Amino acid sequence: MKKTPRTSAAIIAASCLAVFGINAIPAASAADVVTITLGASVPLTGSLAKEGLLTKEGYQFCQEKVNALSTATIGGKQKKIEIVFQDDTSKPDLAAQNLSKFNDKGIKLILSSYGSANVNAQAAVVELNKQTMVDSGGADDAIFNKGYTRTFNVMSPASEYATSMVRAIAEMAKPKPVTMAFLSADDGFSKTVTAGGMKAATALGFTVIGPQYFPNATSDVSAALNKIKADKPDVILGSVHFVEGVAMIKQAKELGITPKSFAETVAPPILDFASTLGPLAENVLGSSQWSSTVKGQEKYFGKASNYASEFLARFGHEATYHNAEASAACLAMVLAIEKTKSADAEKIKTALAALDVQSFFGRIKFDSTGQNTFKPMVVIQIQKGKIITVWPRSIAQAKMIWPYVK
Amino acid sequence: MDTFLQVTAYGLLQGGLLALVAVGFSLVWGIMNIVNLSHGAFVILGAYIAWEIQGWLGLDPFLGMFISAAVLFCVGYIFQRFLINLIVNGPVFITLLLTFGINMILIQGMNLFFTADFRSIQTSYGSNSFEVGNIRIPLVRLLAFLLAIVITFALVAFVKHTRTGISIMATGMDRGAARLMGIRARHVYALTFGISAALAGMAGTMIATIETFDPSKAGKFTLMAFVVAVLGGLGNMYGALVGGLLMGLVQGWAGQYLSGTWVNAIAFLVLIIVLVFRPNGLVGKAFYAARVEI
Repeated sequence: MKKTPRTSAAIIAASCLAVFGINAIPAASAADVVTITLGASVPLTGSLAKEGLLTKEGYQFCQEKVNALSTATIGGKQKKIEIVFQDDTSKPDLAAQNLSKFNDKGIKLILSSYGSANVNAQAAVVELNKQTMVDSGGADDAIFNKGYTRTFNVMSPASEYATSMVRAIAEMAKPKPVTMAFLSADDGFSKTVTAGGMKAATALGFTVIGPQYFPNATSDVSAALNKIKADKPDVILGSVHFVEGVAMIKQAKELGITPKSFAETVAPPILDFASTLGPLAENVLGSSQWSSTVKGQEKYFGKASNYASEFLARFGHEATYHNAEASAACLAMVLAIEKTKSADAEKIKTALAALDVQSFFGRIKFDSTGQNTFKPMVVIQIQKGKIITVWPRSIAQAKMIWPYVK
Repeated sequence: MDTFLQVTAYGLLQGGLLALVAVGFSLVWGIMNIVNLSHGAFVILGAYIAWEIQGWLGLDPFLGMFISAAVLFCVGYIFQRFLINLIVNGPVFITLLLTFGINMILIQGMNLFFTADFRSIQTSYGSNSFEVGNIRIPLVRLLAFLLAIVITFALVAFVKHTRTGISIMATGMDRGAARLMGIRARHVYALTFGISAALAGMAGTMIATIETFDPSKAGKFTLMAFVVAVLGGLGNMYGALVGGLLMGLVQGWAGQYLSGTWVNAIAFLVLIIVLVFRPNGLVGKAFYAARVEI
C-alpha cells in the first residue's frame, strides 16, 4: 500500500489512541471533577495540641462525608473539597502567618485554628487578604466586636458559656443555691465568659462572689480558692481550660473546700477530664457547644446521633464538641459553596451571611457581627464517668444530680 | 492569720515541687556549664514512664519513680556520652542549640508516641490532705516536698563523701587538673547528666501524681528550672532548694494578696531584685564563674 500523508496521519493518530487512549478515560473522568481547596491552620503541637487534633479530626470527617455524598456540581463538574492543613504550634502569630501563606498559594477559603487568641490573630489577616473564614475554635466576643465582615463563627459566643450553666442551676437545682463564686483564668476568652456568667447570676438573684483570677494555663489555682474559702460558696463556677479545670477540682479537695456544686467551662466535656480525675470528676457540671442529643439534621451528617455513631466508627473515640464544631464550620463553608456554585471568596462571604440551616450541630445562622447567636449552649454533667446532657430539658439524657459534694 | 499560714504552707510545698524539678538542671549547669534546654522534656518523659508503669504493673508512683529514674539515667548518660560531649568544649551557644534540638525531638517524639492527650497518675490518696490546727496539708505535695529535701541532702552527701561525687566536683572546678589526676572527664560528665536526668524522672513522677501533664508542658518546666536555678545560685547543691522554696512562697503570697494575673510578674520581679543585690544567686558561689575550662 502506498503511504500518502493522509494515511500516515491516520496511522499516527491510531497509534496515539492505542497508546494513550486507555489512560484517557480516567483523565476525562478527572476532568469532570472540580476540587476546591480550603486552608486550615490548626495547632497540632504546643499547648493546644489536644484540641487542635480534635479540630483536625472534625475537618477531616467533614471532608470525607462531603466528598462521599455530595452530588452538587460547579460549572457542570462534580464538586470535591480538599483541606490543606498547617501546624501553627498553638501560637497566634504563626496561625496568622499560615493564612498569608495560603493566600500566596491562592487559597481564599479558610477554616479557623483553635483558641480565641489564634482566631483573633487570624481574623485580622483574613480581612487584609480578602479571604473568607468559618471559625470553629475562637468564641471570644471580642473577635467579633471589631467590625470584621469575613469571619463567621458557628459556635455560641463566649458570653454564653457560663451563662448557660447559671441558667441550668437556677432552673433545675433544688434546693436552689444562694451564693455563686466565679474563678477565672486571665485570658480574654475566659474573662468574657466570666463577665457573662456574673451578669446572668446577678439577674437570676444569686449572690455573686469574685471574680478571682489566676494566670492562664497554670496548674496552681490554690490562691484563688483560698480567697473564696471563707465565703463558703454554694457553687464554684470556673471559667477555665483543661489544666486549670483539673487543678481546681483537685486543689479544692486538698484545701477542704466543699461547695454544693462545681461548674466549669471547656474542661468537663473533654474525655480526658473524667479519666484524669476519676471519682473526683463525678457530677461536675460543664458547658458544651454540642451533644449527641442536639436537634436538627442535614444531608451530610444526618442527626447529631448519626454524627456521634459514625464519628466513633471512623476515629475510634467518642465525638467531643471540639470535633463537632469543626465539622459544623466545614459544613457551613460547603453549604455556602454549593449555594453560590463557586469558590469565589466574595460570593461565599455573602452566602454565609445569609445562611440559615438546622444541622446536627443545631441552628447555624450568623448575626451581623458574624456570631452564631441563634444556637443555645448545652450543659453536661459527669455521671458515672460519662458525659451526660442535663440541660436544656428538651434534650436532656438524665436529670441533674444535685447537690453532690459531701 | 489562718489564711496567711495556709498560703505560706501551700507555697512552701509548691516550692518543694519547683526545687525537685530544678535540682538536676542546676547540677548540670553548675558542673558542666551546660544550660540544658531539654530538661523539661526529661521531666515529662519521666512522667510518661511512671504513668505507663502504673498502667502496666499497677505500681504506686512512689515506687515507680525509681524505675523512671533508672530509665532516664540511662537515656541521659547516652545523650551526654555520645552526643553532648562532642560539643562540650564549644561555645555555650552551641550547647544551647543542641539541647534545644534534643528538646524538640523529645517533645515531638512524645507527641507521636503518647499523643497530646492530658494524663495524670491516679492514686487513692492523690488529693488527700490532713489538718494541722486550721491548716490543710496536702499529702502528696508534702511527700514531694520531703523528697526534694532528701534528694538535695543526698546529693550533697554524694558529692562530698564518695569518690565519684568528688570526681564530679573536681571536674566541675577544673577539668584539666581533674584529667591530670586520672579522672575520665567524659565519663564523669555523662554520669552527671545521667544523674540530672534521673532526678528529672523523679520530679516528673511527682508532677504526674499531683497535676496533669502532656508533651507541651516541657517548656514550662525548663523555664521554671532555669528561674529557680538562677535564683538559688549555681555551685551550691542547696541552691535549687532555696530558690524553689522562695519562688513557691512568692507565688503563693502574690496570688493571695494581689490579683492572680500578677503572680508571674511578681515572681520575676523578685528574681531581678535578688540578682541586683546578689548576682550569683541567693547561695551561689562565685568561684564557678572563674573555673578553668580546658
